[in-house]
Amino acid sequence: MPAISVRDLGKLYRRYDSNRPRTLQESVIQGMRRLAPQEQFWALRHVEFDVERGIIVGVIGSNGAGKSTLLRLIGRVGAPDEGEVEVRGRVGSLLDVGIGFHPDLTGRENVYISSVISGLTRNRVHERFNDIVAFAELEEFIDSPLRTYSDGMQMRLGFAVAIHTEPDILLIDEALTVGDMAFQRKCLERVVRFRNQGGAILVVSHDLDLLADLCDHILWLDRGQMAAYGQSAETVEAYVSQSSAT
Amino acid sequence: MASTSPQNPSVRSASVPQVSIPANEIHVYDAEVGWRNLLPDLQELHKYRFLLRNLVVRDLKVRYKNSVLGVLWSLLNPLLMMVVFSLVFGVLSNNDIRQYSVFFLVGLMPWNFFSGSVLSGANSITGNAHLVKKVYFPRLLLPVAALMSNLVNFFIALAVLVVFLYASGIGLTVHALWVPLLLFTQILFTLGLAFMLGGLHVFYRDIMMILDVLMLAWFFLTPVMYPLSRFGEQVTILGIPFMPAQVMRWLNPMASIIDGYRTVLWGTISSAGHVSAGPAAMDPAYLLRTFVTAMIVLVVGYLVFARRQHLFAEAL
Repeated sequence: MPAISVRDLGKLYRRYDSNRPRTLQESVIQGMRRLAPQEQFWALRHVEFDVERGIIVGVIGSNGAGKSTLLRLIGRVGAPDEGEVEVRGRVGSLLDVGIGFHPDLTGRENVYISSVISGLTRNRVHERFNDIVAFAELEEFIDSPLRTYSDGMQMRLGFAVAIHTEPDILLIDEALTVGDMAFQRKCLERVVRFRNQGGAILVVSHDLDLLADLCDHILWLDRGQMAAYGQSAETVEAYVSQSSAT
Repeated sequence: MASTSPQNPSVRSASVPQVSIPANEIHVYDAEVGWRNLLPDLQELHKYRFLLRNLVVRDLKVRYKNSVLGVLWSLLNPLLMMVVFSLVFGVLSNNDIRQYSVFFLVGLMPWNFFSGSVLSGANSITGNAHLVKKVYFPRLLLPVAALMSNLVNFFIALAVLVVFLYASGIGLTVHALWVPLLLFTQILFTLGLAFMLGGLHVFYRDIMMILDVLMLAWFFLTPVMYPLSRFGEQVTILGIPFMPAQVMRWLNPMASIIDGYRTVLWGTISSAGHVSAGPAAMDPAYLLRTFVTAMIVLVVGYLVFARRQHLFAEAL
């Protein structure tokens, strides 16, 4: 059974900025106009694919192609307007580095909160705590408030938490490029190990070389539609030749 | 567009370790917003119980993080407030209500819990936008956590109040056993409002502005500074007997609840000015009626919240 099955998935975004009643006053004034058709567009439509366990899928496409929207729907942040997503297993999302971090709390407190948001039990966080801190290489700073951390340190801590929450499915949005080269390599090794242990991974990135290298398959999104889903090298190649043609 | 028709690539038949996924970890998300999706998923909530706890602890920690005295403030705050109020009312009050500062504080403490919870509940989704937009968890935990961190502060205030009650010679009587029931009813009612306002605030940001004024008006319409009987127990309008205090109980559940706390911790006061000797029993019928109202508000508030929660992430 595939870890992720996406069936005829569609997400409709209504363009709210101009005519959306943001306040009650406008809502009353526009009471009638709300019935008029709003400007709307499909951020994703007719997207359909499976991701097996033990596979890394890279998602490519130009800005606004729907890559992040796809990850958010699989991560259950927001609901589809068409079709369905079936996930088999716990989803860990790295849609942003350091989800739930609060600048005034210490690194230690933030590790607990961030892990628990990902659905871990307290005892489990307790067991993994030293591993997380060691992975982030932040032993000396773990009891300092997060606001004293550099951006790189925060990202390292965030990545360390996400990778240690032991999901079955991992969603990564542009987060593989955190830290210096050495730390990046450590993260990639970790992702590959996670794949080899049977995890399913979806990575969004603009780093095509990295994806061609890392991924088993590439999903190419073009303006919300699937342009291709296939072997990494050839799909990236097709994408590059099409992008440079236009 | 030079696209090939999308196809699933051949599946690797590599030696992927077989992992069995428990049935409760298999989810289908689709476009349906049926009644089934409105019911809270108790099994899931149980799974996220640690998150609730952490959200509450985070709230409390952040509140006092950069203050020198830290958590002591949740004790000092009600204490100092009581000192101020007893001084003000001890010196200035031309009120003939016996031990007015106690009378007032018995009503003020639960009121503060109520208004604090409503305000932080209304802000609970928008204030955690960075979470809601990035990761899934049961959204209803946010208003619940907002209420619970206020509840923790209320318990501390309550402890101070008990000390104060003994210091002023009233103490606690057997009637104080009503307090848990009153508190439970108050929590249900407050939670209903927190759900409703928290859910709507995502879409209508002026709810916060309205609330500022509304809570002030509500404060004055609730018998915190004066006895409920001030509304008048019986007047006759156009030959029809009419009981304003009774109407107030129906329209404003907080009036009933605050009057309840006061009755069982301080005493009663009739419109004729007759004051009970001390804490008295309360009428179960009043509590039951308020409880029913609170349940209705909770169910309606929850439904308002649940019907919109899937839109929170994109509306924020």
